[in-house]
Amino acid sequence: MLTIRDINVKIGQVEAVRNFSMDVPAGSMIGLVGRNGAGKTTVMRAIMGLARLSGGSVTLNGENLEKVDIHRRPALGLGYMPETRGLIPDLTVEENILLPTWVMRGIDGKARLKLVYDIMPELMPMADRKALLLSGGQQKLVALGRALTVGTRLLLLDEPFEGVAPALAQRLSEVISSLRSESLSTIMSMSETTHSESLLDQVWRIERGANVAAGAA
Amino acid sequence: MNPILRTFGLAALGALVFIAIGLVVPAWFLFTMTKAVGFGLVALGLVGLLRGGLLSFGQGLYYCGGAYVSGLMANWAGVTDMIVLLSVGCIAGGLIAALVSPLVARYRGIFFAMLTMALSMVAYGVLTKIAAIGGSDGFNVPKPTLLGYHLAETGFGLYAIAVVIAALAAAVCRVHFDSGLGLIASAARENELRIEYLGASVFSVSTRSFILAGGLAGLGGTLNGVALGHVDPFFSYWTTSGEMVFIAILGGYASVTAVFGTALVTELVRSFSGQYFPESWQMLLGIFLLLVIVFLPRGVGSMWAKPAKNHAIRSIKEPAT
Repeated sequence: MLTIRDINVKIGQVEAVRNFSMDVPAGSMIGLVGRNGAGKTTVMRAIMGLARLSGGSVTLNGENLEKVDIHRRPALGLGYMPETRGLIPDLTVEENILLPTWVMRGIDGKARLKLVYDIMPELMPMADRKALLLSGGQQKLVALGRALTVGTRLLLLDEPFEGVAPALAQRLSEVISSLRSESLSTIMSMSETTHSESLLDQVWRIERGANVAAGAA
Repeated sequence: MNPILRTFGLAALGALVFIAIGLVVPAWFLFTMTKAVGFGLVALGLVGLLRGGLLSFGQGLYYCGGAYVSGLMANWAGVTDMIVLLSVGCIAGGLIAALVSPLVARYRGIFFAMLTMALSMVAYGVLTKIAAIGGSDGFNVPKPTLLGYHLAETGFGLYAIAVVIAALAAAVCRVHFDSGLGLIASAARENELRIEYLGASVFSVSTRSFILAGGLAGLGGTLNGVALGHVDPFFSYWTTSGEMVFIAILGGYASVTAVFGTALVTELVRSFSGQYFPESWQMLLGIFLLLVIVFLPRGVGSMWAKPAKNHAIRSIKEPAT
């Protein structure tokens, strides 16, 4: 489904990603594992178009994503949860989750919201709370819900378990596990696989921006 | 009650109250309030831009565009009906903004502010050179009519029209600002990349706000051109745009009505100070701005405007009736 071939990404003069390749089959859960600064987030950002490629290609079902504007990528079914959560602080939880449905045609906001609440019922009581009043872990859940609103084919979860209390990490792991379906693929970046070992079908390891190993989890 | 209906209901009620006030105030005050509405409309458009993190120092261009196009229509085609003139002025302002938006909407911060100001100054320079439309002297605008009737010399008719326009514009902006698209514009102020990866084009969001602001400026320009009975290139001068920015910042972006109040206060301070302290009225305005920044950093409107509940959410929570 998603094919990354020999991509290079420069941040300033530094080559953050070097000839990195990865294949993500439909319905799979992939772990992108590496130490801090290894280039995991840059690969995620490159898939979303937030980091410009200086070489290589990223294709989704044969479509070259480089020719697709950033704001058009969610319409292809790409949902992105950044490491920083990226919530809009002045908007409520529900507004944050629904935000993509306000601009994208063909998305039933009501149905997507129901899906998010079905998967994460703990979000319902805080629906009217502003995002800035949430804890870091709660923000992760909301950011995951928002990614789910548009991520019907590929979910990109950048460090979903980072900086989260163990109990909440366990809950996040359960939620992500419940997302498993034939049509939805998930890429999770992480520095270690403690909370996700049972989730992953494949692990791709990255070091200094390059592939070091790939294989079954 | 449906929030959109409630907003328009409140606007209608407010308009009725202010029209009633117009019946008891002196003619000079009617004129001042009409002029304040003209400036307030431009400032309301600026509020829309400010919500999206954009500050234009060149709204005089669209203000002037609306005033010139409607004024020329009144002079050359003999159309003096206020409904037609206001519609034409609004469309003219919006169209000019739409024409320049591909250039300006890709810039942010100081570049956006300077570029918009540069465009308004280019228009000022061009208008002062065109003798056919009065050059630097401008031209007079005929007395307005409404549905075939001449408006009263007291200025009450024009004032009433101004109040209705202000109420409509405020209600439309409130509904827009609280809608999903309006909230996305506010989200763009926080972080533009964030809304891009959520599916919104920052360029489209900025363009929409810019055209709305242009249309409102055109509306304000038409109103003030008719109220003054005269239009000149100074409408596009950078100090005119600066005054509108001043009014918008004083009002803040929490409320859609505050800009009309601050426009009125500015007009009154200018009128009275011009009479009693001709050399120092700008100082009084400066002190006023300073006090607002210190004590009401979110603008005068933050005194009564609460964070709005957005209609997009309500439409999901409440079944349509």
